[in-house]
Amino acid sequence: MIISIEKKKFSEAVHTVSRFAERRSTTLPALSSILIIAGDEGIKMRATNLETGVDLKLEGDCTTKGAVAIPATILQQIASSLAPEGKITIEHAGDTISITSGNSKSVIKTVPYDDFPSIPFPENPKNRVVLPGVLLRTLFTFIAPCASSSAVRPELSSIYLSIEGGVLTAAATDSFRLAEKKVPLSNKGSQGKFLIPAKNALDIAQALPDDDIIMSFDEHQCAFVGDGGMFVSRLTNATYPDYRQIIPKESVVEAVMLRKDFESALKRTTIFSDTFQKVKMSFDPKKNLFSLFARNIDIGESSEAIMARISGSPLDLSFNHRYLATILSLTPAESLSLTAAGIGRPLIIKGVGDTSLMYLVSPMNQ
Amino acid sequence: MDKGNPRELWEYMLTQVELSISPANFNTWFRNSFIVRIGEDGVVYLGVPSQFFKDWYLKKFHALLLKIVRDVSYEFRNIEYLIVKDEHRKIPRENRNIRGALELPLDEFYINKSDNLNPRYTFDTFVIGSFNELAYAAAQATLERPGITYNPLFVYGDTGRGKTHLVQAVGNQFKKQYPGRKVFYLTSEKFVIDYTDSVQAGTANRFKDKYRHYDLLIMDDVQFLSKKERSEEELFHLFNALHDTNKQIVFSSDRPPVAIPDIAERLKGRLASGMTVDIGEPDSESRMAIVRRKASSHGVLLSDEVVEYVATSMNGSIRELEGMVNSIICHAQVKGLSPDIAEVRQSLRSFTRPQKNISVKNVVDKVAEYYGIDEESIYEKTRRREVVRPRQVIMYILREDFSISYPTIGTKLGGRDHTTVIHSCEKIKREVVVNNELAKEIQNIRTLLV
Repeated sequence: MIISIEKKKFSEAVHTVSRFAERRSTTLPALSSILIIAGDEGIKMRATNLETGVDLKLEGDCTTKGAVAIPATILQQIASSLAPEGKITIEHAGDTISITSGNSKSVIKTVPYDDFPSIPFPENPKNRVVLPGVLLRTLFTFIAPCASSSAVRPELSSIYLSIEGGVLTAAATDSFRLAEKKVPLSNKGSQGKFLIPAKNALDIAQALPDDDIIMSFDEHQCAFVGDGGMFVSRLTNATYPDYRQIIPKESVVEAVMLRKDFESALKRTTIFSDTFQKVKMSFDPKKNLFSLFARNIDIGESSEAIMARISGSPLDLSFNHRYLATILSLTPAESLSLTAAGIGRPLIIKGVGDTSLMYLVSPMNQ
Repeated sequence: MDKGNPRELWEYMLTQVELSISPANFNTWFRNSFIVRIGEDGVVYLGVPSQFFKDWYLKKFHALLLKIVRDVSYEFRNIEYLIVKDEHRKIPRENRNIRGALELPLDEFYINKSDNLNPRYTFDTFVIGSFNELAYAAAQATLERPGITYNPLFVYGDTGRGKTHLVQAVGNQFKKQYPGRKVFYLTSEKFVIDYTDSVQAGTANRFKDKYRHYDLLIMDDVQFLSKKERSEEELFHLFNALHDTNKQIVFSSDRPPVAIPDIAERLKGRLASGMTVDIGEPDSESRMAIVRRKASSHGVLLSDEVVEYVATSMNGSIRELEGMVNSIICHAQVKGLSPDIAEVRQSLRSFTRPQKNISVKNVVDKVAEYYGIDEESIYEKTRRREVVRPRQVIMYILREDFSISYPTIGTKLGGRDHTTVIHSCEKIKREVVVNNELAKEIQNIRTLLV
């Protein structure tokens, strides 16, 4: 195999692909490698860790065809050390490849590529959705942090995606808080739902291109195909809890305030939160004051009052401040609306004017 | 292995797969898979974690796995791969103990500490034939009225005839019939050790008391008491003490009491004073019954052909017979099938000894060759010294090793009288003891003859 690629393209591709290679070294060597294929379809790079997989197309000149697997970490280190201009030539001979760029030449031992698994495409991709990659990327990166990081309940460490009536809904919860985001789709016809592991979604999101991609899925597998290549992930085979049930329909009190007021008040109050990271929230409809209070017996206490438009009856609730802070990264809206349904019931936070997002936090015991 | 049990089948398949692929491959691809179920139509449904696995199994391991299950049984027609739900992937482990029962029948080695009896030896597992009928009847009679009917009961017979089984069965049955009474089983060797230990420790009195409070004392292999005078005396006193209080005593030995060498006369008399029964050589029907019983107790059914082959190809010790059956059972359990006659023949090759059928002429040839004389001269009436000695050696070997009768030896070696043969044999037998040179010569000739 002899190929030559522009250095910049090569580096970008290696960075994208190596994310999908297995990071643990204990398993099959082929899994922690990048497979470079030069064939009729051009130059391709592949990697998989059996959870996710990538098949990326590269622009370049292919002199001789062939396939070779190289340890991902080595390739990544080389790629990050390359100067951006010029081309590199990769030549495969025996059980080594040589990478030549300008005056430098590195020879790397290859890994047997017979063991390299095939990247599975959904068997019957009946469900196909075309959407801009950038949309899916923001969706995944926003929602994924709300999923549970523990593997005990696979459904909770996944993102729930459902397509219905031309709207793509993504939801993630770790049973303490829940984030749901809706995006409209251009084609209204298709519908379906699936659970993608949040970790895989993040990996894929970071590699997705900005332009339109085709998202297809079946029962066990999903794929995101763009011009540049294909990304696949296994799906979680579990039933997602019916989270709509826990969303309170009625409300006791509603407060609307400026985002920057809330942000700075929360930031200061957080300093005084105790070991349980507890922050108390009070709604005072008479004075139109929304206040945050925290007390730590070792440090002291702090209370912050914010002017807000409050309608309803007075209410005190306590929350984990980390869960409150999450909303700030979820919505860019200038004002926030907080809706409480009573003591012990979850609080709904939305961005004013941002109907796509709904964030729900369960209160702590008083 | 139970081929209908998905987990056992999968574990068997894993062991086979592990041999064929690299450890890294094995760990990557086979860790999280298992057999979901085995379909009625012979399709094995294999649960895998994701599409990656399914594709790769189909591409790389399908042929291998199919070959393995086909080797287990032709009932398995195909393998299909299912992607299983994450929460179902953890296989239930609660039925682990079932496997333990199959792995090692540890109870076979279990011995009750308080009475030294092995619960495996019971009358239920004792095969009765014409050869041991009398001994069995005597044992039963003893159990009817212990200490009175036959006291002591003395069972003798060659090694591996089931003496130990019989006397232990008496002990186990006694325990069942008379729950309050005490039984103790020991070998004479244990008795000697116990005695010497107690003398060393200065607790001889405790030793005496220890054995005197048993209602049934079973002593195996009393012939080993010969030349142990102090122990014999101790046994003599113990015997008197038990016998006088009508406590039952059971002995076993490989020879009758009178034939036990170097044992005090007064003890000999006492050993023979009750009931003395022998266990003969089992006839072929009994042997077949034993083989069948042993195999079925392990849950293996052997065909009549196999049973007959096993029973006839080995004569003598029942212990060796059981060894053969065990080896067949082991083969059967590993393969999961009842073995056929060809396999049995193959697996028992190591057990069967070469038949000792050898012609007189062959022996004469070998001996004459060894001594460097003309073989014709052996048959002649010459009394030359260099011929006489080899001729005597031939007679001795024919008699000792091949058990040919004296008259036959005489006729075969040039029509000699049987008394001549007897004299020669006796002479060599005497000389072998004192003459090392001759002993070595005979040893060399024996190796030539094998």
